[in-house]
This record gives sequence, structure tokens and C-alpha cells, in this order.
Amino acid sequence: MTPVDSKPFFFWRHLNKLRWLSLSMVFFMLVLIPFLHLYQTYIAAHAYDLLYPSEKIIYDSMETLSAPFVNDPENDLDLLKGTTWSGRLFGLDLSDPLALAGQIAASGKLLWPFVLTALIPIGLTMIFGRFFCGWICPANFLYELNTTFGFWLRNIGIHTGQRRMSRKFKYLVLFVTLLLSPLLGSVAVAAIYSPAIVGREIYYAIALGGFGVGAVFFTGTLLFDLLVARRGFCRYLCPGGALYSLLGRFRLLRIQRVVEDCNDCAKCNAVCEFGLDPLRDGFGMECNNCTACMAVCPTDALVFKVTAKDQPDRGPGHLSRQYRRVHNKSFEDSPGIEGGT
Amino acid sequence: MKRRAFLGYAIAGTATSLLPLTTTEAAVRQGGQRYLRPPGAHEEAEFLDHCIRCGLCGETCPNRAIKFFGMENGVASLDTPYITPREQACILCMKCGDICPTGAIPKITRTAEEVMAKVDMGQARVDETLCLSYQGKTCGVCYRACPLPDIALRVGMLEQPHVSEACVGCGLCERSCIQIPQAIRIIPHHR
Repeated sequence: MTPVDSKPFFFWRHLNKLRWLSLSMVFFMLVLIPFLHLYQTYIAAHAYDLLYPSEKIIYDSMETLSAPFVNDPENDLDLLKGTTWSGRLFGLDLSDPLALAGQIAASGKLLWPFVLTALIPIGLTMIFGRFFCGWICPANFLYELNTTFGFWLRNIGIHTGQRRMSRKFKYLVLFVTLLLSPLLGSVAVAAIYSPAIVGREIYYAIALGGFGVGAVFFTGTLLFDLLVARRGFCRYLCPGGALYSLLGRFRLLRIQRVVEDCNDCAKCNAVCEFGLDPLRDGFGMECNNCTACMAVCPTDALVFKVTAKDQPDRGPGHLSRQYRRVHNKSFEDSPGIEGGT
Repeated sequence: MKRRAFLGYAIAGTATSLLPLTTTEAAVRQGGQRYLRPPGAHEEAEFLDHCIRCGLCGETCPNRAIKFFGMENGVASLDTPYITPREQACILCMKCGDICPTGAIPKITRTAEEVMAKVDMGQARVDETLCLSYQGKTCGVCYRACPLPDIALRVGMLEQPHVSEACVGCGLCERSCIQIPQAIRIIPHHR
């Protein structure tokens, strides 16, 4: 087979940029929504003249931003509320599946209106796997920037943590927290789940005048990622990641390696934030389809496939030196390969 | 002290200090702080296991009355909403119940009958030794602030407030009281 046959759709290389756009949009919304809420409260108070100058700036800028879209900002802006944990997106109520799991564990009851809000995320997770982590999660946005910061530190010679642990540990975290919830009598996952914390803390900081307890926890996870293990929280500890991995175990959309195009450069393994092994077809249920490996692959050997199963390890890539040494003869016969090294 | 021993003591100390905070009873007992749950909220234990700490109630409150607990009311109450009526009282707009995704704060229509039937945050209590009207200086500010005048709060000849059973505990009277400390305050029910 020649590599030319299996060239992927050209846009796939650029999905990673789209992902960053998505992450920044979500983060931007998390900052914008508290400001819109403040604006709504200022309107409700009917006291523009009594606002502090700083509050007037918020009022004016939010009025400018929202005026083209709403007639009655005090009520119409209620269509856009909340965080990724649970929120209202243009009138559609959505909740994190982990919020549902935690709430069921804590109360032992199915609250149907609430279950309905989590159905769309659950469905999407079953199709696209752990996509929330890579494409939406506001904590992931900060964690990835933290990874970049770690690279800078290493460039100037400061040591960052590169420990590897068992990725199974996060499933233990998930189950222990869910089991503890009824004993605590509260939805305990909410306190240790970074995206919920980030959304909440941004709101606290903007609307209530300061960070809360969660900020301490989140700073701790940032330091953990920097000093102990790269992306340690998401890889080894996050209960949400564990739940989505389980939900997305039989996901339909998967990234797969085209062994004929692969030159074993291992850039995919280096770039994978979740510590997976694309080089040896090791995606598994924890791949979040973030497409970072696709973007970095020099030979476009990583493609999207609609299938419920990963392929087994197909051995060294056909463009690699190792493979060419063994199959040297066939190599000389096939045209258009020379540029592959 | 050896490091291992020190770590042992530190962990044991932290664990024992957190222990009383972890039970729901401790949260219900309410320590120093007098707080109200948002209007219509379930009784404390049920509220805590329904609430997913999304903060939507606070984010939708037009009066910015809803704030969120840190660790001060126990681990079980972490990030749950509360109202301190003296700082900012509830205007009974019922928007928080409308947006609450889990029904920890149930949906309640904004009519006097519905609100009186379903909202029970607490009940106002008058301290007659502090109240100006009981000292002969007619004040009546609490009566004018009450959203259910003559139903929840009646006044006498010199505007002395009398609280009735119909009081839902919104706290607008406490917020408006011109005395420092306030002569009327909400005694929370937490049902």
C-alpha cells in the first residue's frame, strides 16, 4: 500500500487550533457570565447614578456587549448562566454527568429534571469519548498552559516533575468519593473536581469579591502538575476524567495510527497530555480526541476513524528506519518514499 | 521530633479536627453564624445532598443576596448558598428556584399564596428593648419593608411590630432596621 492512498482530510491537522479556540471561548464565557450577572443586578437596582465608577465601567461595557442581542437584559440574560458544571446555555439546561453521578450517590434519588440536563453530555461522551476534557474543560485550558509554562521552566534549566503513576488511580478516586458522598451527606465530588472549581472560583472572584476554598485546591493541583507529574491531576486523580473514560469506553470516534504512514518519530507520545501511547496504537478509553497528536504528526499518520474498537499494536511505522532495515527490499521498490525519513 | 512522628501527629490532628465537621448533624447544628438558605430550600440534610454546588442560584439572584460558604460551616456545607439577611435580604423573586438544576431549591411561582405556603426560611423576632417603636419613638421601618404587610407583620398604635406565623423569613425587615444592632432579626428554621 502506498501512503498516498490514506492521506487524511487536510483539515484534521488544524483541529487542534479549533480546540484551542473552543477552550478559550469557554473560558471567556466563564469570565463574561459573572460580569453579565453584575450588570443584571445593577439594572435590577435601578440606581445607575449610585454605582461606583468601577461598577459603571462594568455596566457600560456589558450594556454595549449585550445590547444587540437582548431587549430586556434584566431577564433575557438569564438564558446564559452558570458554568461547565451546570449551566444554562442559550436556554438549554446542561449539567456535567459527574454532577449527576455525585448527586445520585449523595441522595440516593433520581431527580428527573436534573437527569434530563445531563443526558446530552452523556450521549456526546458515549460517541466522542472523553471530549469534554480536551475541548471544553476550563481547568484543562489552565493545565495545558501550565504544561507550556513547565516547558519554559525546563528551557531555562529549572527541573519540573516527570513522575509516572498508575492512570487507574483516578478510578479509585472516583469510586471512593462517590462512596463517601452519602456519609458526608453532600456532593463531595464538587469539591475536588477542577473544572467545577474553576468555574465557581471565577464567579466568586468577579461577583463576590474574592476566591474561595477551591482556589487553594486548584493551585495545589497546578503545583502538583508542575512539580510532581506532568498533567498529574488529569491523568491520575480527576474523578470526572475517570467517569468520562468509562462512559466513552466504546466511543465511536477514535484516532488511529496509519502504520503505513508512520515514521516512529514519537512526537505524538511526547505531545500527548494524557500520557497515552499513540506510537504503539495505545489510545484506549482515556483518549479525549484532543487531536494534539494529529497536529504534531509530520507524516499525517494519525486519522479519525468511526469505529468502536482500537486497532491492536501494528508494530513499527513503515516509514521508520527499523522497519526499512527489515523490509529493505520492498522499500526500494515502492516509489515516493525517500522523503519520509 | 522525628519527621515521621511529626507527620503522624499532623495527619492525626487534622483528621480529628475535621471529624466533627464531616457529619450532617454538625452542619445542621449551625455554629456561630446565623444564616438562611435560599427561599423554599429543602431542610438542611436533604438540601446538602441535593445541592451540586453549581452556584447558579447566586449567579441569578438580582439582589445579590446569595453568598457561598467556605469551610466555616463544615465540609458538608462547602460552596453551598446562604443568605445573611442583615447584609442583603431576599426579595422573594424566586429566580433561584427557577434556575436550580437539581431542585435543591424547588420551583415556586411568585404569588403571595405560593410563597407563604412553600417558603419558610425563618421567622422574624423583635427585641423590644432595642426597638425604637417600643420605646415610644414611632419608627415602623420594618413594617414598610415587609413584603407581606399586615399578614406577616402587624404594627400597633405606635408602630410597634408584631410578627405573625405567616412570616416567611425573607429578612427585609432585619435589613431595613435602623437600629444598631438590629431590633428585629430572622431566626432561621433550616426546617
